Amino acid sequence: MDVNVKTKASVQIQAFYLFYIIVGIQVGVGIMGAPKFIFLEAEQDAWVSILLTFVFMSIIVLVMFAILKQYKNADIFGIQFDVFGKWIGTILGTIYILHFTASLLSIMLTYSEVVNIFLYNTFPNIALGLVLLSLTIYTVLGGFRVVVGAMFLFFFLSFWLIFLLYDPITRMEWTNLRPMFQASIPELLKGSRATTYTVSGFEILFLVYPFIQNKKNAKLPVFLGIAFTTLLILVTTVISIGYFSPNSLKNVDWSVLLLFKSVSLTFFERLDYIVIVEWVMVILPNLVILMWGVTYGIKRLYKVPQRVSLYVVSLFLLVIVSIVKYEHHITTFTDFVAKVSFWIVFVYPLLLLPLVWIKKKWRKRKGSAST
Amino acid sequence: MRKRNKTKDKSGDTIFPLNIDELEKVISSKFENNPDIKFSTYEQQGRKVAIFFIDYQVDVQKLQESLLGPLLNMEKEWSNDSIVNEIPLNSATKISSLDEILKRLVIGEVIIYVEGENESLTYLLLHKESRSLEKAETESLVLGPKISFTESLATNLNIVRWRIKSTDLVLEEVKIGKTMPHDVRIVYMKSIANEEDVNTLRQRLKELDVDEIEDSVVLKQYLEDSQYNLFPQFDHTELPDRFTYSIKKGKVGILVENSPSGFLTPSTLFSFLESTEDLYMRWQAGTFLRLLRFFAMAFSIIVTPMYVAAVSFQYTIIPTEILITIGQSRAAVPFPPLIEALILEFLLELLREAGARLPTKVGQTMGIVGGIVIGQAAVEAGLTSNILIIVVAMSALSSFTVPSYLLGTTIRLIRFPLILLAGFLGFLGIMFGLSLLIIHLLRLKSLGRPYLVPLYPLRLEDFNKVFYRTPFNFTNKRAKAYKPKDLIRFNKKDATKKRDIDE
Repeated sequence: MDVNVKTKASVQIQAFYLFYIIVGIQVGVGIMGAPKFIFLEAEQDAWVSILLTFVFMSIIVLVMFAILKQYKNADIFGIQFDVFGKWIGTILGTIYILHFTASLLSIMLTYSEVVNIFLYNTFPNIALGLVLLSLTIYTVLGGFRVVVGAMFLFFFLSFWLIFLLYDPITRMEWTNLRPMFQASIPELLKGSRATTYTVSGFEILFLVYPFIQNKKNAKLPVFLGIAFTTLLILVTTVISIGYFSPNSLKNVDWSVLLLFKSVSLTFFERLDYIVIVEWVMVILPNLVILMWGVTYGIKRLYKVPQRVSLYVVSLFLLVIVSIVKYEHHITTFTDFVAKVSFWIVFVYPLLLLPLVWIKKKWRKRKGSAST
Repeated sequence: MRKRNKTKDKSGDTIFPLNIDELEKVISSKFENNPDIKFSTYEQQGRKVAIFFIDYQVDVQKLQESLLGPLLNMEKEWSNDSIVNEIPLNSATKISSLDEILKRLVIGEVIIYVEGENESLTYLLLHKESRSLEKAETESLVLGPKISFTESLATNLNIVRWRIKSTDLVLEEVKIGKTMPHDVRIVYMKSIANEEDVNTLRQRLKELDVDEIEDSVVLKQYLEDSQYNLFPQFDHTELPDRFTYSIKKGKVGILVENSPSGFLTPSTLFSFLESTEDLYMRWQAGTFLRLLRFFAMAFSIIVTPMYVAAVSFQYTIIPTEILITIGQSRAAVPFPPLIEALILEFLLELLREAGARLPTKVGQTMGIVGGIVIGQAAVEAGLTSNILIIVVAMSALSSFTVPSYLLGTTIRLIRFPLILLAGFLGFLGIMFGLSLLIIHLLRLKSLGRPYLVPLYPLRLEDFNKVFYRTPFNFTNKRAKAYKPKDLIRFNKKDATKKRDIDE
């Protein structure tokens, strides 16, 4: 396998699309329930935890860029191949692919649960799976540019949801946020760890980096992207804290969706139905880029055509989604994915960077010795 | 290659020199049962000459005045050279092969053969019936030129030339059709149009292997990027001003013989919603109209499915007052909303199709019968609710605002699967359908260029040509998305320079 990836100019994208890729993959099902989990750890200081997470994210993004910069045009699969050799590189790459697949699965399961709770009580999971997967397959078949295009357009098509929060804001009890700075530092850290599942996904940078046309300008959109996601989580969490009483927030599962329940327009009562349906457009960017990542990774590691792996992975997902029935299974699985993704997204790059540096130095020494 | 063909022609199929009687036999044997071929023989100073043509293909008056008259009054001895010299007509060609003679006869040339010569002479004295220029019927404008293309290619070229008086304008000729060739012209501005686009189009035309084409709309479908989807990929118009406007902005156009419309490429989804009238209006009004059309398109697609979804599944989203009205009007209707909506949409499509097929005078009566009588009766008979009639009518009305008839048809078609989805899955189905539609549009290409440009790939500087209009001094550039050779139209500095007070 080549460490560096040769990408055709026709599939390359401008750097500013990274913003939409990062936001698109970060914002998904996680944000629907995030405020509760952060609040459980850090209470009314949850917003501090979120800001802390932003700091961690920024550090990790810098580390990722530092790793990517050591190579000309490499992705994570190539880098692992280069650093760890063929066998371990393939295993680590496979872990990445499994991580993406697990995220895909947890997104689909969580959304199907939401649809079951809020929309149709007896809606079969397999039907929803078919709906989501057919959209995903159709997008991924179009290639990387269509995937990015879908992320870009669906960002704008779902962005307006945020304006609907005007209503919960007017109903907020601002005193719920006081007293400030009561949480201890371990509590804050725990809170920010609870945020990680929601913000995970920006590791996709490791995969899309070779496809960026103007790599020099890549940093700004990525930072704006993680900042935008942080802002979204911050806003929804603060509104949730103010909107619900402290005790009830600890007990509601989908606090952000519930926020929309009180929104009502003269020609639309009960906008929450629309919001839940509209959430398809929020999770579609997740699904398409993750599916692209999975199939692209399989192609890189095992030389399986993307067209084949796309159908196989989709079938696998469809089977699992239609088998899983119970809510607690979904919750356990999502918790598991959250735990693993913390290690893969937030810890692993920190370990990889020194190794990449060592490898580079070693190669330089070897290079100078041989010449 | 071409040279070799020519020499082969001359040596291979030549039938001359030939006796005139024999020639007459040969020609009439080729036109068996066709009484239209006129073959006449003249003799002067011992030399015989044969003149033959198809009489309705030839301008007979011109033939008499400029060919027969001078020929018979000629004092010199008849020979090919002397005839070419003495006849006051240009465009004489010397040909010798029978195939070539027959081909030229058919397109309206007069053939002269002087006995004993090795070649015959032909003169183009074409007489072509064509209708006069008329007002555009399918695309109508309030302001601006009303004239539309006709079936005559020469007239169309004439109009285009008059509208773009520049040597930059190229009208490249290509023949399409193996057995019944059609003249096809590629129209573009040499100094503006993107070379790659012209080459792609030229190549697609050359690689096209068909026996014949019916019309430009058919040729358009042959050339499009993908045959398997709903959306038209090339813009099709009968308005010369729309045609030349796009040419001047760097697009490539195609005109086809015997077709009253041309088409333009590359196109985007949004170019189907543009009308030249947006330019003739003031920019505020132009912007308003354009946005109105975008809104109308979305509205037309979405409104009936929304009704079906809301009434069948998520009726809580309807405000209570309206819900009561809907409930009252639906009380007598025995069908589920899905069937109700399908019946009414079907009825409306019937009306529209019947209106398009019927003669105009009957068509108006049709509208009244269909729209008022049937609509009213349907409600009273309890077949549909009157709210749905309003919804469907609004949706139909919106779909008529699309300037392109082809896209309008596509929009009408899209509604049916969406209504079905809404009937089965409610709002989730609509969302699924819309997402699929957006992804579909993302995947589409027109002449290899993205269909949703400038939205994706994003080109903010083109937005003022596509989504809204700005005053003319801000539109000093052509659309960047088509990568024209020459991007700048005029100097922006001069255009926006402000004079001092009272200067």
